[in-house]
Amino acid sequence: MYINRALLLAVGVFIIFSPAVEEWIFHSTTVWYRPYQLWLLLVAAAYWNQRSRYPDEL
Amino acid sequence: MSFSLAQILLFIVAYLTGLFTVAYLADRGIIPERITRHPATYVLSLGVFAGAMATNGALELAYSYGYSFLLYYGGVVFMFIFAALLLLPLLRLCRVYQLASLADVLTFRFRSPRIGAIITIAMCLTLLPLLALQIQAVADSIQIMAGDAGNLFAQENRQDGLALLFCIIITVFSMLFGTRHNSAQERNTGLVTAIAFESLVKLAAMFVLLLAAVYGVFGGFDGVEQWLHQNPQLGNTLNHSLHDNTARTLLVLFFAGAVCMPHIFHMAFAENTDSRDLRTATWGLPLYLMLLSLPILPLTWAGIKLGHQLPIDYSGLALGLEMHSTAVSAAAFVAGLSAASATIIITTLALANMCLNHLILPSRLSQIDPERNIYAQLKWLRRTLIGTLIVAGYMFFIALNGTQSLTQLGLVAFSGTLQFLPGVIATPYWPGANRKGLMAGLATGLTFWFFSMLLPLASNFALPIPDLLGDGNTHWSDAILISLSLNTGMFILVSLLTSTSADERIAAEICSMDDTSRPVRRVLSVRTASEFSAQLSKALGEKTARVEVNRALAELQFSPDEARPYALRRLRARVRANLSGLLGPAVAHSIIERCIPFQQGIQDSTEDIHLIERKLDRVQTKFTGLTADLDNLRRHYRETLHNLPIGVCSIGDDGEILLWNRSMEKITGIAPRDVIGSLLGSLPLPWYQIIGDFQQGDSHSQLKTEVVGNGPPCWISLHKTIAGTDTEVRPTDTVILVEDITELELLEKELLHNERLASIGRLAAGVAHEIGNPVTGIACLAQNLEYESDPQEIRFTAVDILKQTERINRIVESLVNFSHAGSRSGEVNLEPCNLADCVDESIHLLGLDRKARPVEFRNQCDRELVVLADSQRLLQVFVNLLGNARDACDSDGQVDILAKCRGGDVVIDIQDNGCGIPPDMQAHVFEPFVTTKDPGAGTGLGLSLVFSILDDMGGSVSLSSPLFEGPHPGTRVTVQLPRSSYGDAFEA
Repeated sequence: MYINRALLLAVGVFIIFSPAVEEWIFHSTTVWYRPYQLWLLLVAAAYWNQRSRYPDEL
Repeated sequence: MSFSLAQILLFIVAYLTGLFTVAYLADRGIIPERITRHPATYVLSLGVFAGAMATNGALELAYSYGYSFLLYYGGVVFMFIFAALLLLPLLRLCRVYQLASLADVLTFRFRSPRIGAIITIAMCLTLLPLLALQIQAVADSIQIMAGDAGNLFAQENRQDGLALLFCIIITVFSMLFGTRHNSAQERNTGLVTAIAFESLVKLAAMFVLLLAAVYGVFGGFDGVEQWLHQNPQLGNTLNHSLHDNTARTLLVLFFAGAVCMPHIFHMAFAENTDSRDLRTATWGLPLYLMLLSLPILPLTWAGIKLGHQLPIDYSGLALGLEMHSTAVSAAAFVAGLSAASATIIITTLALANMCLNHLILPSRLSQIDPERNIYAQLKWLRRTLIGTLIVAGYMFFIALNGTQSLTQLGLVAFSGTLQFLPGVIATPYWPGANRKGLMAGLATGLTFWFFSMLLPLASNFALPIPDLLGDGNTHWSDAILISLSLNTGMFILVSLLTSTSADERIAAEICSMDDTSRPVRRVLSVRTASEFSAQLSKALGEKTARVEVNRALAELQFSPDEARPYALRRLRARVRANLSGLLGPAVAHSIIERCIPFQQGIQDSTEDIHLIERKLDRVQTKFTGLTADLDNLRRHYRETLHNLPIGVCSIGDDGEILLWNRSMEKITGIAPRDVIGSLLGSLPLPWYQIIGDFQQGDSHSQLKTEVVGNGPPCWISLHKTIAGTDTEVRPTDTVILVEDITELELLEKELLHNERLASIGRLAAGVAHEIGNPVTGIACLAQNLEYESDPQEIRFTAVDILKQTERINRIVESLVNFSHAGSRSGEVNLEPCNLADCVDESIHLLGLDRKARPVEFRNQCDRELVVLADSQRLLQVFVNLLGNARDACDSDGQVDILAKCRGGDVVIDIQDNGCGIPPDMQAHVFEPFVTTKDPGAGTGLGLSLVFSILDDMGGSVSLSSPLFEGPHPGTRVTVQLPRSSYGDAFEA
């Protein structure tokens, strides 16, 4: 099964940095909607990732 | 504030009528396609994932597990953001093989109808809690709206009748709009648009609740912050809960739900018509879910602040009641209603398709009357199943008595479907997995799930679960982890210990490749597209078979009289895929294998090069790195092959034409697209005969073959080689090179003619002299005759004149014969020829050249020897060879012509005592324009023509030199021709 290298890198980065990101999000003094800021960032990244795709590739 | 039951009923009916209207308008095309086909509609329809668990259950999750409630959405978000990991490979499989459910995919991968049946039964069982959850959310909401919140769980006061009515309306909707198309893979536009509409309604309602909670309860967002500061224990709950191991379990649970839940699977794959829509969903669905989850925390906190007595799941309704706001109550009710109805509709539709394809049809296909409309029968079967499933969900809800929270029901349902995750991951990623492993894993995992999760829902039974996480209060989390571990462990262990069938290995290869088909060239038992219909009619009935075959032909843009093996293989695959969408992969496989089988006993490991090329051409832009380099290399070699100035065609063992380059098109006038994939027998004459005979023959080359067709004649040379090295194991292809030598042949003929004319020119002076002698003699005899009166003398004189005239005739006839040789459009007229006579004639002709050296020709050929040749061409051969021999000799030279029989041939040696031929020249003397004579003394075409003429007549020529020591080494030219005779009658 061919897996895009960028995707593997993204998964790797996610696993490596998830404790640090979790720490940042759930710091007790932070605003309650901070997880949503990260979520929005993920949405933006996903949008950027898919915008240069080819016509119906199946 | 409360509502009467009539008002609530009216409200439900009004909402569902609105839903019907949207679906109807979309189906009729009144809502324009730019809306119904817009990617946003597809993305919103995926919002079906957010059922009552999202609008109600998430509040309880947030209350109990803090930020962990986000994992309910996070699992799906990760699944879609990383769609390339699982969703895209599954979408490819589903699109190519018309698979519409998880059971279809796993049946296809593990090649077992039993797998499909097991998964369908397990799926129905695991989804009963999910259906009950939706119905309970609506029933409880009705109860609360009716002002009976205090007796929510009191059986005697429950408004289950309205919940039943809700189920009936939902059933009618599913039946009407979910079964409009015969194939589960065809998009139900009305249904998709209605579900997208429900997602919008759900989102709008949740935002109304968000505003009501923030501004109605806290007085604004600052109020929320202030309240949180005043209640720091809530902040701690929010943060610390996510550090629990339960959070990881929830993430896995909802991650699996995104692909294992049948309603998500159905919307994501079965209703998808364009992979670009799924790409849009990779960011669109996370965005939608983010917006949908935004109100959850403020709503939960509002519920806590209000301190209402209702379960926290219904904080929205409590908010409306506390605020005495009809709008807020209605928004909370609509949010739950839209979420529940969408989930029930799609879940039951997906389950009905699974039940039909994997339970009903495999066992009762024979009971479907092929003579009646098979599509209508299937539609009604599907409708019946939808009704049955909704009733089953309702019965389960009744059996539970509303004693379970929505979250509990959701966790049981999601943990049930989680058991399919190992199989789903193995489909694209583990070719070693087999059906025994999958069944063992599923049996273990589902059994544990049944006793640890499902059974405790409806009874007091509780399986003792070890406290894996060490927190003592997350029984469900331990149960989920244990069931999944047991399932995965058994799956891996049994797969490793047991053998995998060949069928499974092929399917595994298909599923684990980027490309979704394994192009193998096999020979079908049917020869034309029309035979497909006849064969399929045995299982589907005449009308349905014809419709399905015509549909597949139209989709592939093939003509109804298609007969190319390559096209028929594609047609078979397409019919199978379409039937898979209609009847499920197991039944489709069974019908196709039975009605349109491949021929047995024929080796089938040859790959379908043409199909591979087509697929590579379509996906080439995706390649990167070494793969892209390899693909570029492939393209380079293919272009080289196609642009070769020599014709190249490749023919499989079964006679299928695999390659036909542009030069072949130029030579034969047959375009590659018309012939690739066809059988050799479909080539028009004379090409079928020429190429077919050559392919079957033993010879590896065939020089100068004349092609006589409708157009002007042409000449080709053929060469062949066998492709592949392991010829004993695999069928092999024959590569044939076709060289167009028409121009060369015409040039050669022209040169032959010119050479002959040159010879005639050289002979002309001798001819004039030769004719002059008898003419002088005749003149003298005529003068004498004038004065002769004796009749006897006159008679003698006349006889002499006639002799002289005959001599002239013979000279002229020789010259005419010689000049006509080969002028009859290249036709070789083989007939028995007396060798010695032919040599004599040649010597006589050469004798006419008075300027030539007077050498001695000694014809020592047996007068009885007869060869099979064209006499006039043979004359040319001897004139050229004897002329060369004479030119090589001095004035006292001698040329001997000897002949002997060898086997079925006659070998003629022409031997001289001339100057010989240098060794370095001997290999080239038969090439055109090569001569040993002085410049201007010869054209260099003589021996070339001799070679060409003898080759035409099936003979050969060779030479050896020197023959003797000394100044006259001499040369021997050896001609070999087939022996012949004038027939028995003549011999006698």
